[in-house]
Amino acid sequence: MTDDKKTDFAHPNRRQALMMMGAAGAAGAAGLMGPMAIGRDRAFAANADASGQLVLAFSQEPTVFNPLMPHIEVDEGLYYAVYDPLFDFDPAGEFFPILAAEVPTVANGGISADGLKWHLKLKDGVTWHDGTPFTAEDVKFSLELTVDPEFRSFRSTGYKLMQNITVISDTELSWEMSEPFAPMAAILASTYIVPKHVFDGVADKNETVLNTAPIGTGPFKFKNRMAGDHIEFEANADYHMDGPFLETLIIKYVPDLNVMYTQFKSGDIDVIGLQYITPDHLAEAETLDGKVVKVTGRATFESIGLNMMRPQFADLAVRQALYMAIDKTSIIDALYYGVPTPTETYMPQQSYYYNQSLPKHEFNIEAANALLDEAGWAKGADGIRAKDGVRLAFSNSTTAGNHLREQAQQFIQQTFAMIGVEMEIKNFPPAVMWGDYWMNSEFDSVMVGLNTLAGADPDTSDYFMSTMSPARGGSGQNTFAYQNPKVDELLTKGAANFVPEERKAIYEEMQAVMREDLPFLPLFQYAVIKGWKDDVTGPAPNVNNRIDTWNVRDWART
Amino acid sequence: MLRYLLSRFGQSLILLLIVSFIGFAVLTLAPGGPLSQFALSPGMTQEQIDKIAAQMGLDRPVVVQYFDWITHLVMGDWGTSYRDGQSVLHVIGSHLFATLLLMGTATTLSVSLGSSIGIFSALRRGSTFDYTMTVLAMVALSIPTFWFGLIAIYLFSLNLGWLPAGNMYTVGDGSVLDYLRHLILPAAVLALVDVAIWSRYMRTSTLNVINQDFIRTAKAKGLPRRRVVMKHIVGNSLVPMITLAGLQLPMVLGGALVTETVFTWPGMGRLFLDSLGYSDYPVVMGLLMASAMLVLVGNLAADLIVALIDPRIRLE
Amino acid sequence: MTAVTTTPPARSPRIKSRALRRFLSHRLALIGLIMVLTLTAACFIGPMLLPYDELYIDLLARFSPPGTGGHIFGTDPLGRDIAARLFHAGQISMAVGFAVMLIATTIGSVVGVVSGYYGGKVAAVLMRVVDAFLSFPSVFLLLALAAFIQPGPVMIALIISATSWMEVARIVEAEVKSLRNQDFVQAAHMLGLSNRWIMFRELLPNAIGPIIVAATLTVARAILLEAYISFLGYGIQPPLPSWGNMLNGAQQYLQSAPWLAIVPGVAITIAVTGFNFIGDGLRDAFDSRSHGQ
Repeated sequence: MTDDKKTDFAHPNRRQALMMMGAAGAAGAAGLMGPMAIGRDRAFAANADASGQLVLAFSQEPTVFNPLMPHIEVDEGLYYAVYDPLFDFDPAGEFFPILAAEVPTVANGGISADGLKWHLKLKDGVTWHDGTPFTAEDVKFSLELTVDPEFRSFRSTGYKLMQNITVISDTELSWEMSEPFAPMAAILASTYIVPKHVFDGVADKNETVLNTAPIGTGPFKFKNRMAGDHIEFEANADYHMDGPFLETLIIKYVPDLNVMYTQFKSGDIDVIGLQYITPDHLAEAETLDGKVVKVTGRATFESIGLNMMRPQFADLAVRQALYMAIDKTSIIDALYYGVPTPTETYMPQQSYYYNQSLPKHEFNIEAANALLDEAGWAKGADGIRAKDGVRLAFSNSTTAGNHLREQAQQFIQQTFAMIGVEMEIKNFPPAVMWGDYWMNSEFDSVMVGLNTLAGADPDTSDYFMSTMSPARGGSGQNTFAYQNPKVDELLTKGAANFVPEERKAIYEEMQAVMREDLPFLPLFQYAVIKGWKDDVTGPAPNVNNRIDTWNVRDWART
Repeated sequence: MLRYLLSRFGQSLILLLIVSFIGFAVLTLAPGGPLSQFALSPGMTQEQIDKIAAQMGLDRPVVVQYFDWITHLVMGDWGTSYRDGQSVLHVIGSHLFATLLLMGTATTLSVSLGSSIGIFSALRRGSTFDYTMTVLAMVALSIPTFWFGLIAIYLFSLNLGWLPAGNMYTVGDGSVLDYLRHLILPAAVLALVDVAIWSRYMRTSTLNVINQDFIRTAKAKGLPRRRVVMKHIVGNSLVPMITLAGLQLPMVLGGALVTETVFTWPGMGRLFLDSLGYSDYPVVMGLLMASAMLVLVGNLAADLIVALIDPRIRLE
Repeated sequence: MTAVTTTPPARSPRIKSRALRRFLSHRLALIGLIMVLTLTAACFIGPMLLPYDELYIDLLARFSPPGTGGHIFGTDPLGRDIAARLFHAGQISMAVGFAVMLIATTIGSVVGVVSGYYGGKVAAVLMRVVDAFLSFPSVFLLLALAAFIQPGPVMIALIISATSWMEVARIVEAEVKSLRNQDFVQAAHMLGLSNRWIMFRELLPNAIGPIIVAATLTVARAILLEAYISFLGYGIQPPLPSWGNMLNGAQQYLQSAPWLAIVPGVAITIAVTGFNFIGDGLRDAFDSRSHGQ
């Protein structure tokens, strides 16, 4: 069964076997792979029946149109409409090809057994929105652009390991890796390919036409943008996959979640996207006529992250006591209206690598007090515990203006006080909060929602490897400054392993170690409330992608 | 006169320099920065952030960055938005229409209504009407605009369902009627404060005119009261209002900020807030400069108009 | 003390008593005074009478409508008593208002009296600085500054002061300029009194009327501005309540719990209207011209 469950570089699974058999009909595989597209195998066919208009609303404004430049989640909403990656994750965490003719695996010869040599076949006959043919040169250019010293690249992890990118033909290219790196495929799945020709003769690679009028190979062509309000797209009649089925797609920017919900209710908005329906509206939304409302899980988990360099958190007993003093159930049920699911780990529950047997959290003030008493943390005259000159007092920070989180923070402050711990709330506007304060671990503790995964790949070295802490001299996102030799060892082993069953064991062990160690106090895995009109088909949850439009090519109105 | 203009112009330039330097320093020296929004993106490392900062020149000393920015500004290049890579002037320009529409409507509403109330109050000074309007104007000036907006949304959108709670138009509709429906609430909320201001100024101005000799002369000549009021009093009291309009010019940028937020109106106030949130300094600075220029132009225009109208004032 | 005797002694007291009499006969001003005093009393005595702590969270009682469960103004999304929060918030908002008044009036008076007294280059430089600050739209400057500090009541008060002192400076400058050449100043000069003495002991007290009026209006303005920046999320941060940040989350619950928005908004309006009425009354009281008109 496991063979069938996950895309696997060592053993071909059923879908990849299909792909290999139908290698000549690479395009056919594309039609099969889209989860909503089964039986609509009309790839390469100009889509004559694209019809209707759909308004998708986001509460933030997509503004960065070059997908290889630094961007935020909401910008990806536009990328899936305009651009294509080589391949992508479906909701089950399996890869399906988009611009690639097939997903490279060890089995199909796309990746060498040691993971060092990659060979990629592309679809033939794909064109850019301006009519220029898409070739392997575009792919090579895009991959190299990410490490171009002149270019403001959104990341270099993985890409900098690629060497000798060679174009073999218009539809074939190969490269070598300087070391085996299992997450590479997941990184490629969120790498959108940009057209090389728009960079020809451009003095500054950061300032091309892509910034204002993006050109891609995707299902929709960029039509126009009304800044601060909406972006309009029209169907790409020459799309190389099935779809699109909509004549016009409009991404609307509605900065206020209440207004967004009101407009969804009144029918001005067809699909409610990023930041979604607020939990307090769930009960009402579910009763709306002609609307489909769904609670779906996200890969992001909420936690209280501790700065492990602070003496207050050095004692495991303190971390355990703090965890016990959080009334998780009340936070989830009352403040978040029961929408998110409690979790004990950073790994999403939908993931193949999720460890189901982690010990369950228990809210118990008495036990927490007893634990601290036993560990020698005695209450001072002010009611705050201390030991060896260290007072159990610290600050907690998060983005100012995130109301639900601020409410949870204040509630936790109250239950912490019941075990003789003083938590001061010290929130900042986003630009300050996530600047050096976060990156260089200048906080005592934070309340943060993190997605530590790249797509469906379980590697989280960036966040938990001891060498990845900027505050300890490393470069990465280990801002909790977490150090655990066992975790380091498991992460190194996991990143060099290409066998899912073996990796599963490694990452399950790692989750168990971290649940015991508590460098962060896990609260819940995010779930969001999506909604669309009942005549809209296509929107589908996908925990492996950051944004709703991952399959916008399949969206239609009936 | 020319000398006066030149010296005023010179002073304004110096002022702009001071304003620009203070603004630039405040933004640049503050903790955080334009790249912190990417800190939570998967795969983002401190190394990468440092690299991008170096590419964007954000690692240079503030003074160097300032001179770089101001030299470009002088040459007409207001810079490029960090957020969407478009030129700052284009970004500001693309939000101009929404703000002008809102402010234009609100101003038309408040000038006409405010002036009428002001004249009426002055003609019946001390009457119940005058007294009521005075009190109402002071109360209106004391209500927080955004709160008034919230209450208006609560009443007219949520409870009665008469008007939309936000946005400038419905996507896919966009007819004049649709714009109007969206315009009513925010324009009315904005106008409330302005009506109060205009009515107060107009009342004072009218009182000044009424007490002048030529009005007494006109009355003495036996001209019909109606004609005296319409032709002489109203006409002459409106003149100083031009000054007020000049002084109100900068409000185009700043005035609608909170109202635009409450009603999710896609104008420059929102642009300022969004840009500030993303630390998009070039746009924030652009808005700051544009608004400071409007203040100076408004002041200058006001002084000039007064001088032209009133021969007793000489500009030195 | 010699200086006092050299000034026309009758000047100040006479103005004061006449001004007080006029102020007390000003109906609006009295109403304003009553509004402000009542609200202040409520904010300081109220919390002692209420059975609830403004910080105590009770998730079981969240969103209780006004009048239920002993909560006169209902509860907030965390089940905290809004009345208790409102009164504490009032203490903070009004404290910010008065702090701004003190800081802004002090800075403004010093700048104004110095440039008005010396004139010439000193005045030119100082008044250009005033102009520069005035060319910043105040909301812009406030938000730009507030976005980058740890927003506590003290910092918020300082930031609002930074945008509020210019008006006082202008008023005082104009007033001092007109007083500069009057007899009592000349007399003080001849007595060899120091510039500082003349500025702060002779000139400033004579400009006290307009300063008091401006100061009163500054309190009103500061309370409004605090509400604006806290509403936009850049002001005083929870759990510490202020009238502005109580409104911050209210828009979200406008439909289901409108009292979250109504109650603090009414409090702000009462406070600001009160101070504006008082300011208006004071203006009429000190300004014989407008009274005579």
